[in-house]
Amino acid sequence: MMDIAILLKPRWWAIANRRLNKRHTVQMLVLSSVGLVFWIVGYAISLRVLTHFQKAQDIGDLLAFKLLSIILITVFSLMIFSTILTSLSKLYLSRDLLLAHALPVPADHLFFARWIESTIDSAWMVILFTLPILLAYGRIYSAGPFYYVNMILVLSALCIIASAISALVVQASVWLAPASRLQSLFVILGFAAFIVLYIAFRLSRPERLVDPETFSSVLYYMEHLRAPSSRFLPSAWCYQSLRDALLSRPTGAMLNTGMAWSFAIFLTCINLLAAGPLYFKGYSRSQTASFTIFQTRDPLMNRLFAKHHSPFRGLFIKEVLCFFRDQTQWSQLFLIGALIIIYVYNYSVLPLEKAPIQTAYLQNLLSFLNMALAGFVLTAVTARFAFPAVSSEGPAFWIIRSSPASIKSYLWIKFFIYLLPMFILAEILIVATNLMLNVTPWMMALSVITIALLTPAILAMGIGLGAAYPDFNLENPAQAVTSFGGMTFMMLSSAVIGAVVILEAGPVYRLFMAGIRKLTLSPLQKIWLTCSFTLVVLICVMTVILSMRYGIQKLENRY
Amino acid sequence: MISINNLTKKFGKTLAVDHVSLQIPPGEIFGFIGPNGAGKTTTIRMMAGLLYPSEGTVHICGIDMIQNPVQAKQRIGLVPDRPYLYEKLTGMEFLRFMGDMYQVNSADFTQKARDMLTQFSLLDRANELIEAYSHGMKQRLIMCAALIHDPDVIIVDEPMVGLDPRGIKMVRELFRLLAGDGRTVFMSTHTLKLAQEICDRIGIIHQGKLIATGTLSELEDQASMSGSDLESIFFQLTEPV
Repeated sequence: MMDIAILLKPRWWAIANRRLNKRHTVQMLVLSSVGLVFWIVGYAISLRVLTHFQKAQDIGDLLAFKLLSIILITVFSLMIFSTILTSLSKLYLSRDLLLAHALPVPADHLFFARWIESTIDSAWMVILFTLPILLAYGRIYSAGPFYYVNMILVLSALCIIASAISALVVQASVWLAPASRLQSLFVILGFAAFIVLYIAFRLSRPERLVDPETFSSVLYYMEHLRAPSSRFLPSAWCYQSLRDALLSRPTGAMLNTGMAWSFAIFLTCINLLAAGPLYFKGYSRSQTASFTIFQTRDPLMNRLFAKHHSPFRGLFIKEVLCFFRDQTQWSQLFLIGALIIIYVYNYSVLPLEKAPIQTAYLQNLLSFLNMALAGFVLTAVTARFAFPAVSSEGPAFWIIRSSPASIKSYLWIKFFIYLLPMFILAEILIVATNLMLNVTPWMMALSVITIALLTPAILAMGIGLGAAYPDFNLENPAQAVTSFGGMTFMMLSSAVIGAVVILEAGPVYRLFMAGIRKLTLSPLQKIWLTCSFTLVVLICVMTVILSMRYGIQKLENRY
Repeated sequence: MISINNLTKKFGKTLAVDHVSLQIPPGEIFGFIGPNGAGKTTTIRMMAGLLYPSEGTVHICGIDMIQNPVQAKQRIGLVPDRPYLYEKLTGMEFLRFMGDMYQVNSADFTQKARDMLTQFSLLDRANELIEAYSHGMKQRLIMCAALIHDPDVIIVDEPMVGLDPRGIKMVRELFRLLAGDGRTVFMSTHTLKLAQEICDRIGIIHQGKLIATGTLSELEDQASMSGSDLESIFFQLTEPV
């Protein structure tokens, strides 16, 4: 077992050797503060929701435990998906594996060391952000120390089980699938995740839980809340354990925690047994050339601007080809596609007619809020695709640096490459949801124009900050968004969206009410309206200019 | 063709390159040798515009690399020590990309690219993804890319790493051909035999300082070792004190 500890050492040494200069200290402090804020907000919201549930006589506990069950099953699913991707990368794709496999260490020991790293890497964040919710449960139910100790044990077992299942799936997949298609596994996983996510979401029909009228009787509603999830799911054992601990039933809690841990140990042993004969063979297979789904000899794009050789054409074709040939990008596209479908679908099932407020007012209010939500969706998509655009050059960035194209034109070319797809996505989101809400034509026009202004602003922040905080050594450039720069981008983007929505909110409300009451706006209101919209345009334009300038300066001064 | 004056690079407190000055005329093959960590790659990176100098200037064909980097880079063909490329492009697509970046005349491009690929024995693999290439093939592809725009200056960091004997012979002949055509070749290498064989002049860098420059006989004089080969001179001059 000594060799496993030795294999894990470089990772800890690298963390310990990380030199904290002033800049890194500031970054760490900002990141920790943001994390702490999220943590406190999560805790406060959980407390509030649970307190609200407690006020509902008879069904308060049922609702609270149903929520706990949903949370645990979500955490378990997230962990499985996350650990599949992490373990595939850690066990088969990491650059340092070449050195690791050359060491005089048995393959199963190497597997175990990498698996431990993979489990910790994918579990820490899930645990960290589940804790405030579980702590809130502890406070509401006045739980004793037993609950908190049990909570840690249960969460650890859940993470180990999820990671062990993923490692088994990955080992089997790499063994079964031809090695050259290893990367294609990501596509299959992404697609599977999309289908599972969508079906699970629709089958759970979450809207019914807050609308007892849809159930034929109160008894049926309560039965629905009481219905346990499958007994064979590890998340169900964890749920039972936490529930028993909250209700001061230590024997039941310990039994379920014991079940979870025995299963975790069993799966770990199975993994180790499988790793002996399978792991190195799978790794060897992954060393052959990878398979590409789309490979054209004379792609259509090469005929684009064929007569005019320019850096724009070169970078455009390179970006598109590299994107579509990288299957890891496809899985992300599927996931984003799924989230957008769910987003649009939610608007189609909104029970507007049951609302106590006037429908026209509510439709337009929702459409207004929808602009902000679409902005956040754009931020997420930009964070995933445009923010890592510079980091994705990786070690090949020397090609750009040594070429006769300035950093300024390079970054603006990147901006324009991403602008059109982002713009189309944003407008589809806004128009589709507004059509479902059946909003007034002027509200539709306002939404379309606002999102048209916000799209380049958000994109410029993504490209600019991505260039200011690049990481060319990442094995997966998508991870760049979890860095300090990524967090800064998301905060600034949210701030700009918030500023635009706040600036438009007042005048739009006045305009809308004037329309309903058939009144004309006063001169002061007209000035207010003009100033607000001018400021919105100014904010968006200045965001584009300043973000891009910042990115250009920082990237140029990097060398 | 290449003019370097007082070129200096500091990384924090470490002085990587210490006031290096060099003049290399057209048609010369200049060999740049030195022990590991001497400052060869840092000098090359500053010459190619990949790194800002802390002090000093670099002129390529009379163009200041700091003031006019785009014009200066247009005149350079760079072959770095490690062949990092866009793995998801094919060899031909990568050449087309480089052609676009250097704005190579589209009418000439295809024929030129085919000729280069043939010369470097890559034509039959030109439509395969670069990720399937071996280290040596990537190195040869980078050389094709560095020459696709007919640069006046070729800067090469460790040209022979990963090349097979046939590739080494071909590159050696190519450098002579390019120099004969009036281009300047600046080559950093650890292969002292190669440097002795093909370079017109050689510079030895040690601990960031250019400690000797000249033809082999001039280096013999500087090291007070007449009749010696480059290897002996190198050891003599770079011997730890």
